[in-house]
Amino acid sequence: MTAGPAARAAARMRPGTGLVRWLAAIGAGLAGFALFVAIAGGSPAAALQAIWSSTVVDAVGPGEVLVAAAPVILCALAVAIPAWAGLWNLGGEGQLVVGAIGATVVSQALPSSLGSWAALPLLLAGGAIGGALWCAIPAVLRVTVNLNEAISSLLLSYVALRLLDYLVNGPWKDPRSLGFPQAEPLPDGHRLGGLDWLPVAGGGRLHTGLLIALAAVAAAVVAHRHTTWGFRLRVVGGNGEAARRGGLPVKRLIVGAMVAGGALAGVAGMVQLSGVEFQAKGGIAGAYGFLGFLVSWLVRHDPRWIVLAGIAIGAVRVGGDALQIDANLPAASVNVLLALLLLAILARGRGRRRSA
Amino acid sequence: MIEAVLAGAVRGGSSILFAALGETVSERAGVINLSTEGSMLCGALAAYATAVETGSAWLGVLAGAAAGMALAMLFAAVVVFRAANQLATGIVVLFLALGVTSLLGRDYVGQGVDGFTRWDVPGLSDIPFVGTVLFAHDPLTYLALLAAPLVWWLMFRTTPGLMVRAAGERPEVLVATGHSPNLVRLAAVAAGGLLAGIGGAQISTALALNWSENMIQGRGFVAVALVIFAAWNPMGALAGALFFGGIESLQLQLQAEGVSVPADLLNALPYLATIAVLVLFSRRRLHAAPDGLTSVFETSP
Repeated sequence: MTAGPAARAAARMRPGTGLVRWLAAIGAGLAGFALFVAIAGGSPAAALQAIWSSTVVDAVGPGEVLVAAAPVILCALAVAIPAWAGLWNLGGEGQLVVGAIGATVVSQALPSSLGSWAALPLLLAGGAIGGALWCAIPAVLRVTVNLNEAISSLLLSYVALRLLDYLVNGPWKDPRSLGFPQAEPLPDGHRLGGLDWLPVAGGGRLHTGLLIALAAVAAAVVAHRHTTWGFRLRVVGGNGEAARRGGLPVKRLIVGAMVAGGALAGVAGMVQLSGVEFQAKGGIAGAYGFLGFLVSWLVRHDPRWIVLAGIAIGAVRVGGDALQIDANLPAASVNVLLALLLLAILARGRGRRRSA
Repeated sequence: MIEAVLAGAVRGGSSILFAALGETVSERAGVINLSTEGSMLCGALAAYATAVETGSAWLGVLAGAAAGMALAMLFAAVVVFRAANQLATGIVVLFLALGVTSLLGRDYVGQGVDGFTRWDVPGLSDIPFVGTVLFAHDPLTYLALLAAPLVWWLMFRTTPGLMVRAAGERPEVLVATGHSPNLVRLAAVAAGGLLAGIGGAQISTALALNWSENMIQGRGFVAVALVIFAAWNPMGALAGALFFGGIESLQLQLQAEGVSVPADLLNALPYLATIAVLVLFSRRRLHAAPDGLTSVFETSP
């Protein structure tokens, strides 16, 4: 940086500068996205129109955004909690998938006549345990052979995706699915209830998974700033060597943080299974793990801001689906918009720290 | 069958080798580029589209290398000059690559291409066993095998290589000799993206001979992992890439032989094997890491 600290502080204090920069970042992101759509032979106006109407104008739009936000928020917490202890969990995708597998295992083991008040907590536990176990692998490898958890959790995601492929193509394949690789649909009692009484739902498919995500955020906020555990994790994250010499059980704290994070990603898998898809199938991961990672990093792993950022990213996700349906573009093309917006924020230097 | 597995290891491993060599150069300069995966994707599409439009697979490779390099330079600009977090920026740039390639590649899905064909090395390919394993491949495979010692030589025997290593270990030395560590890092990451782009080009125009959305399937991440296994040494990357290619090829052979293990589970084998070798070798590798990398994994704001 050429500008000195004093000059930077002055720039920060000038009224309106921050807002102008935010608007410039958003404008640059939208312009870049429109350019790529035009190059690909699509209509930028139609694409932006599809994103806008699917998230804001349509009656079900805001509700759909919240439906997508729930797994993003949970996966963001799955990154944030290990990050307090200085760990990178890049495997939310795989933990979500194993969570969905765990919930499906529980669902198949339960009698379908069991009431939802008993079944849903058990499915939730199945999801949490699945995600926790999957995340325990990189955690244990980290504390035993010092293998970098970012790399191992990332690679394990691909293993989890193949495992799900195997299950829905093989032992779990629904004979009535007309050849589609998907498991049998969940019985009604194993599905999360709707929140259609909320005005924001617009009569859409908003479900109680959102409340599960919000409860998890509340618990994380308390744990982060108001519990000994959260404090200890932050000490480990701040200076692991000092924490060890200070007598903290660093290894146990590291594994605990990863397992807690994995459990929350697993809950995201259960929420997607019981609230959206209603059956195990290949696309259930939906990049929510990676989106959660971006959210957590964007808010510097502070759970207080995860809800807001999660809703914003959820809106991008819904916009992507609308591109496919309304503008005849691949759903993944919305990633251009997402990435350009995030790059514009990055280039503002918000994450500026000493050069690595 | 052993012959077929080994030949497949060399062929399949070489695309990973390009990416792993590129990531070695990048990490030696102190930059972890998770968007190696993205550079491979961009390389795969650019090469495929160029080969389809011009009919020349070699022009395709040039385009793939350029596309991989362009993406890596965008990553480097944000990471090196704005000091943004490397892992997060890598994932963001990967998302950009996913979006751009799915958008620009939609017309190429399912289209045929005149890609690379096998070119037997005259004379050598007739040697029994060795000939089939080493000398009966597409041209890019030979290029990859030659690139490994070349990158080793560049890194450890030339001044530019010394500068790249200094950028990762002792940037103050570069400053003292009148060079900019940041410019050296930018160049190293760009070179890494260029190699990853060629690796992607090989996957679409020599191995798969088609283009599909997100077709790299984590191979770029595997390349990043293999660099740790290789202890940041290009010749180690060669060994790691051949190992990954070998497991992938063994898995395909087992499927072809009709082994009763389901294909989806066998598909997970290369990723599991990569983690396994990292576990076996990680303890004694870590001290080989360039100094500049240690701060990458700090999460505290």
